[in-house]
Amino acid sequence: MAEPVDWVLAAAALVAAAVVVLPRSLLPHTRIVQVMGFLLLSVVTSLIWLRLDSVDVALAEAALGGGLLGGALVYVASGPRRDRPSAAATGWLAPVLGTAAGAVLVVILASAWLRVEQTMPGWTDPLQEQLPATGVEHGITGVLLAFRAYDTLLESAVLMLAALAALALRQNTDPGAEPELASFRHTHAGHTARSATFSWMVRLSAPVLLLAGLWLLFAGSSDSGGAFQSGAVLAALLILLRVAGTAPRWLAPSHLNAAQDRLSTVPGRIMVAALVAGVVVFILAGLLGPLVGEPWLSWDPAWAFAVILTVEVLLTAGIAAGLYALYLALEDPRATGERTVRHRTKAGESR
Amino acid sequence: MTAAELSLGAVVLAPLLAAALAAALPHTARRALGVGIAALVLLLTGLLAVQTVAGEVTELALGGYPAPLGIHLRADGLSVLFLGMTALVGAVVTVFAAASRHTHQAFWTLWLGCWAGLNAVFVSGDLFNTYVGLELVGLTAVALVALGGRGSWAPALRYLFIAVLGSLLLLVGVGLIVSVTGTLDVVQAAEVLAGRPDAAPAALLALTLITVGLCMKLALLPMHAWLVPAHASAPSAVSPLLSGLVIKAALFVLLRCWLWLTDSSGALSALAPLAWGLGAFGAAAVLIGSVMALRQSALKPLAAYSTVAQVGYWFVAFPLLLEEDAAEGAFIGIVALALGHGIAKAGLFLGAGYLKEAYGTDEIEQLRGAGRQHPYAVMGMSLGLVGLIGLPISLGFTGKWNIATAAVAAEHWWILVLLAAGTLLSAGYAVRALAPLLLQESPTPGEARISRNYRSVPGLCVIGLGALTLVTGFGGVLIAEALEVGAPW
Repeated sequence: MAEPVDWVLAAAALVAAAVVVLPRSLLPHTRIVQVMGFLLLSVVTSLIWLRLDSVDVALAEAALGGGLLGGALVYVASGPRRDRPSAAATGWLAPVLGTAAGAVLVVILASAWLRVEQTMPGWTDPLQEQLPATGVEHGITGVLLAFRAYDTLLESAVLMLAALAALALRQNTDPGAEPELASFRHTHAGHTARSATFSWMVRLSAPVLLLAGLWLLFAGSSDSGGAFQSGAVLAALLILLRVAGTAPRWLAPSHLNAAQDRLSTVPGRIMVAALVAGVVVFILAGLLGPLVGEPWLSWDPAWAFAVILTVEVLLTAGIAAGLYALYLALEDPRATGERTVRHRTKAGESR
Repeated sequence: MTAAELSLGAVVLAPLLAAALAAALPHTARRALGVGIAALVLLLTGLLAVQTVAGEVTELALGGYPAPLGIHLRADGLSVLFLGMTALVGAVVTVFAAASRHTHQAFWTLWLGCWAGLNAVFVSGDLFNTYVGLELVGLTAVALVALGGRGSWAPALRYLFIAVLGSLLLLVGVGLIVSVTGTLDVVQAAEVLAGRPDAAPAALLALTLITVGLCMKLALLPMHAWLVPAHASAPSAVSPLLSGLVIKAALFVLLRCWLWLTDSSGALSALAPLAWGLGAFGAAAVLIGSVMALRQSALKPLAAYSTVAQVGYWFVAFPLLLEEDAAEGAFIGIVALALGHGIAKAGLFLGAGYLKEAYGTDEIEQLRGAGRQHPYAVMGMSLGLVGLIGLPISLGFTGKWNIATAAVAAEHWWILVLLAAGTLLSAGYAVRALAPLLLQESPTPGEARISRNYRSVPGLCVIGLGALTLVTGFGGVLIAEALEVGAPW
């Protein structure tokens, strides 16, 4: 039965969601307040997942929804406002209709859901039987990297392609097309507007984050955690280092976007290699099965653990690189410091 | 493991591996890799087709884990037909992109990833895996639109919202089915549903959500507004892929869910109101889409509105799927129309993109007489339009014929009237698009001598698709036979 804490969580989730989605004509607030509502929503959602004993989902929600997406939203929300002059008279109509439609849908869905007899998932028993053969002990890792490895492979490909697309479109950006946005990014890129305190804080917390990320990765075989959660934490680490301006040069591919050299620089190559390595090795590992006459993506129990571990480590690198690349695509190529770095690199290469 | 079982995984994993590798390769190598993979996928699809012609469904439990724990790949007649259409159109467009100077260098990774996603949807035997495949298709398709430059970013973003919303509705529907059946496998879920009449309301709701979500991705009127700017502003090599192939993935999943999942569960008869609603929207799409196509002054928006109209035909036949004696004919008709549209519309869009690259515009008035300089491209477009109107010999004709006979069997006379009206209107926009191109004027009046372009590979690609429109027109019987393999009845 639902305990009081569950009611509190449910109410908090509703309030946070309302703050996010209600339009300004109904609830006067700023974009930053909306973003804060989103962050609150993601914290509450993580807690709800914990209450449902889904630690893996809670970790993923906290790292991806709260941490990375929240960071991106704060970044965008503190930028220049480019609202279109909205028709004030009908400003309330769309949200009210949307809310009504959503409410009707939820009622219908819930009534159908509650009326039918639920069936327990048919994979619970076979999962326990087959788990020892995979070499991992945690059921969720077994599902992600053995039983439904194909889904995981395609999902990692989605992230890889999203990151590559974002980088390609960033190269497409026409300089000078949007001066106000450029000046905003100019001050936002972290190269000018960082304080010494912030920089030191990042330096101090970086080892802790690195450790946390690696722990999530390697604990995943026997406990909650895994490539997605670990990759998200490591990406957060990279972004913090980047914002604080303390990243080593090979981690800060500042000229990733320069149209003339197109990812051909050393940091760009590292980035692309990290992005694609996980997917490439995953597919090649999947080919091991057909080579000995077994189906795709099947691994002999003798070396299944080694394969899964290799794939998981590389996927983590790919996920971290992918999320970091998505963040870099938000940044502007013309931010301060970029040009000097580029010149320095060119000089370094010529030497 | 047989060769067909090997191909079943390889049609997905080979293009996916190539997509990842292409990102790390220099530009010229990407072109070569793309063409090589196109040839490989054609070969692999051929191996699967041989198995289908022999009357067998190819099936493979990935990792050796049988469902419900693992994921099954399954290729029946429907899968192989869509795989084949994708392989043919994909290969021709790949050659076009490799030969065109305007191909964006990110095209290769995104298109090969999209191809992997399309094939993943077509061979998937698992509902959640289908969702993942559609995600792969949707995300890469959005990014491919955005390669069209700044002007295409707003349509791409709008497309992204629609694609994600459609996917979410699909996911909720799939979740509902899992909670009732305890399995994600299509065949197993259908078996459980057939044995549990009490689950019919949940199955009905799930199918409704899945249908609405997929109709958004299919741009069924009135949810079509995103399609026109997205397909019209995409790069030349991308528009044919979007209109010809990408929306077919959603249609495939819709047919899979309607005919396989609900087979004999009793939910299908309860779907009648939904089917009639879809039929009505489909009829409106045929009429409004065709009229809007007639009103366009540029080739690519005209072709995009023609897609809106053609989507309508597939849904007009949906009420027939519920009739005992008309279902099979309607099913064959929908599949034939969709396959024919895939090839013919790809040809039309490829030709329009070719002319846009050659003249810097796709305004029909400014392309007067373009047929003199680029006879192959304009000829290819004409053949594509033959298929879109539904003249014999083309799959468009086969499809309309099957739907018309099914409508007569079920005594739904309004469908005949609608097919006739739609055909007349499509002939109208075909003339509107083509006639100025065939005039004896030159689009570049300054030049005294007209050089006829008979050698360019992109032009040959366009006429290649046009020829395929006619050649596949002979395959109507083959389609009916292939659909018998693993048929839901």
